[in-house]
Amino acid sequence: MRRMRTLLFAALALVALFGFARPAAAQETEGEGDESPVEDVIHEAEENGASHADAECIEVLAEGGTVTDCQEAPNPLLPELNEIIWGAVGFFVVFFFLARFGFPAIKKTMNARTEKIRSDLAAAEAQRGEAEGLAAEYRAQLNDAKAEAGRIIEEGRQQADALRRDSETRLQAELAEMRSRAIEDIESSKAHAMADLRGDVTQIAIGAAEVVVQRNLDPATQTQLVEDYINQVAASRA
Amino acid sequence: MADDRTLAYAEALFSVARAEGTLGTVGDELFRFSQTLQGSDELRDALTDPQIPASRRQQVVEDLLGGKASPTTVALVSMVVGTGRSRELPAIIRKLVEMSATAAHKEVGEVRSAVPLTSDQVDRLTKALNEATGKQVDVRVVVDPSLLGGVIAQVGDTVIDGSVRTRLEQLKNAL
Repeated sequence: MRRMRTLLFAALALVALFGFARPAAAQETEGEGDESPVEDVIHEAEENGASHADAECIEVLAEGGTVTDCQEAPNPLLPELNEIIWGAVGFFVVFFFLARFGFPAIKKTMNARTEKIRSDLAAAEAQRGEAEGLAAEYRAQLNDAKAEAGRIIEEGRQQADALRRDSETRLQAELAEMRSRAIEDIESSKAHAMADLRGDVTQIAIGAAEVVVQRNLDPATQTQLVEDYINQVAASRA
Repeated sequence: MADDRTLAYAEALFSVARAEGTLGTVGDELFRFSQTLQGSDELRDALTDPQIPASRRQQVVEDLLGGKASPTTVALVSMVVGTGRSRELPAIIRKLVEMSATAAHKEVGEVRSAVPLTSDQVDRLTKALNEATGKQVDVRVVVDPSLLGGVIAQVGDTVIDGSVRTRLEQLKNAL
């Protein structure tokens, strides 16, 4: 609001300056008493449609100048004095009001805007940093998860390998044990069979021997056995 | 418990026989009866069957020993059979024999032979056993045909085995 008021005031000043300011050469005050002959001529020329440049030329001639001096082109760099004065006055008026009201407001607005932009930038920077931190954290967590998954997979593979090796070892051991047990059983069975056979043969042989002995033990042999026994006991003294 | 009862019966029989003055005779007769009882399943079953009345069993004893053994022997055996101790009779008689030998300062020597021994053989064997064991041996001869031949003598814990059967067993073990 204040900015609009300041701009409006500056525009009015410019309008006042350039709208109502008249060339000093063309300003005339009516009702002035005596006009010089030059001025009469000029007035008459203007009534007859002469321009301002013609009026100035008349003055130059009246002052002793030549036509060439009348036709001198105006200086493009340096304007008329009255224009300079009025321009300067208007410039300083406008500058005063701008400096007093406009420039501070504009400056304040610009500062506020700058500050806001700075704060926005800082906030954005902070958020960007925070986002980057979160992103880095997530990436780290993701990497950890991947590493953990890889570790679990590897661990599972190692366990499976170990289990497989154990199973193979146990199987081989069991097979070897079964094989040795089978061999032992066979050997034992063989030994038992041999012992049984030997026992049977012995039994048969002894049985045959008993029969033979019984048949050959007549009374004389029996008596001789008793006599031999008595002699044997008598010979073995305590 | 059985050992105490056996000992008691043996002591009773010993006392009776010694009182009668027929300890040696009664001892020999009881010993032979014991061997007969152990060698005959029928006699053993008849004397140990609880279904048979005691009087009947005693009658069997009297019929078996009457006229062949002294009255004291018959009475003592009949008494043991009548009290239902027939199954323990061999152990009672063994104890009695030991007590008789101890009373005579001797030790019982059981001699098993495949064939009966003559008295001469018994005397010489007794003398040989006395010298071999250093004790006075009261020889009791038992005929055991299962020996096939030869003799086995046991005096206390000492066994002198000269039987054919044992030699055949040794041969079998060696084979």
